[in-house]
Amino acid sequence: MFKLFKSKFFWLLLLVIVISIMVMNATAAERGNITFLEKVIRDTYVPLQSGVNSFRNNWDGWTAVFSDKSQLQKQIKLLEAENSRLTMENQSLQEYKQESFRLRKMLNFDNSNREKFDLLPAHLIARSPNNWYECITIDRGLRQGVQNGMPVISPGGLVGCVGSVSENSAQVNLITDREMAVGAIIQKTRETNGIVEGLGDSNELRMINIPYYSKISEGDRIISSGLSATYPPGINIGTVTEVTREPNGLLQVAMIKPAVDFNKLEEVFVITGYHPVEGFEVEEE
Amino acid sequence: MRILVLILLPWLAIFLQSTIFSFYNIKGTTPDLVLVFVTFFALFNTAKKGSGYAFFCGLLEDLYMGRFIGLNALSKGLTAYIVGKVQGNVFKENIFVGVLGVLVATALNSLFLFLISIMVFDVFHIDTGMLHHILYQAVYNIIVAIPLYIWYYNSSSKGVLRTRGE
Repeated sequence: MFKLFKSKFFWLLLLVIVISIMVMNATAAERGNITFLEKVIRDTYVPLQSGVNSFRNNWDGWTAVFSDKSQLQKQIKLLEAENSRLTMENQSLQEYKQESFRLRKMLNFDNSNREKFDLLPAHLIARSPNNWYECITIDRGLRQGVQNGMPVISPGGLVGCVGSVSENSAQVNLITDREMAVGAIIQKTRETNGIVEGLGDSNELRMINIPYYSKISEGDRIISSGLSATYPPGINIGTVTEVTREPNGLLQVAMIKPAVDFNKLEEVFVITGYHPVEGFEVEEE
Repeated sequence: MRILVLILLPWLAIFLQSTIFSFYNIKGTTPDLVLVFVTFFALFNTAKKGSGYAFFCGLLEDLYMGRFIGLNALSKGLTAYIVGKVQGNVFKENIFVGVLGVLVATALNSLFLFLISIMVFDVFHIDTGMLHHILYQAVYNIIVAIPLYIWYYNSSSKGVLRTRGE
């Protein structure tokens, strides 16, 4: 035992463990900026990762040429039908939009927050190199105006938020990450304020803190509530697949299928111009 | 040249893990190539050298991720130390040594990650999803370890990774 204390390696190991734990603690919380070394390391990967990504996209294009012709025709028909349906839906929604504008004007309401988004398109160039974190790397960074904490969306819905930024790339923490939490409500009833948290699985989310009296059921669409300052309200998060009651009986838990297919994600939009809703700060006080 | 290759290996491993392997994952799981190389290094060197190299590789991964810096460095360092401690008693010519080493290292590394996370942050909760990830990763690691061990063995006995004086 005493022999161990005389060993230089033992003391070195102990020192390394202590320093590592201190650094781990310091870097566990959200940081304003990553260090110069981290930026340099990350940026050395960007050109190669972008290259692999564009090769992969081109490869998918090439393989599509050799796909079955009848299958492609079927797909075109399906897309045409969907396009017609969406055009019709769009026409009716345009009417609602105009009506909403008129009513808002009459009532002196602000325009919908959604209209204020400044979107920066970005390509996904890499994913998390290990299985413990759910994050992606995009090809937009400080140079393009990306900053820490900016929300990221895709046409499907909410993707996550920017966790750290280097000169030419940014790491986006997905909402499926174990450390992520988003304030959410049920789109239809708008009554329940819950928290959607990631489970480390790209196909599943969990909504917690739902009161026992809330009318939440399978198939309900969940959207961001806007109560967490990071995410604007009204962004699609996913659909409820299962509702259970917690053992204490006071709260319910809902399992949610994310609206975004994170395994097929290729392009995203960083919301660079979002500002919290006016009046939100007053509410918080 | 040997040192350059040893530095490039974890860099390349992170690149492959974040691109090709993550795009073509198995049930959302990617192999841990960094751990595979670290295990091989520990098998062919001493425990002290192995843990030092593993710490460096883990640190590179942590700096790339930008979160919990030191977590992978510490878990991989400790894993490599244990692997390095038993390396003197095994025949490295046998490919099963590499495969078994990677299997044990995957289990140890996951265990250290859990223990450190629970002790330091209390953030990771063991659930079935996580256990599935570990099982899939162990299988994936073994699959990639077979060709890599053959290359690593040849390189360290008569190739670019051979230590000076051998």
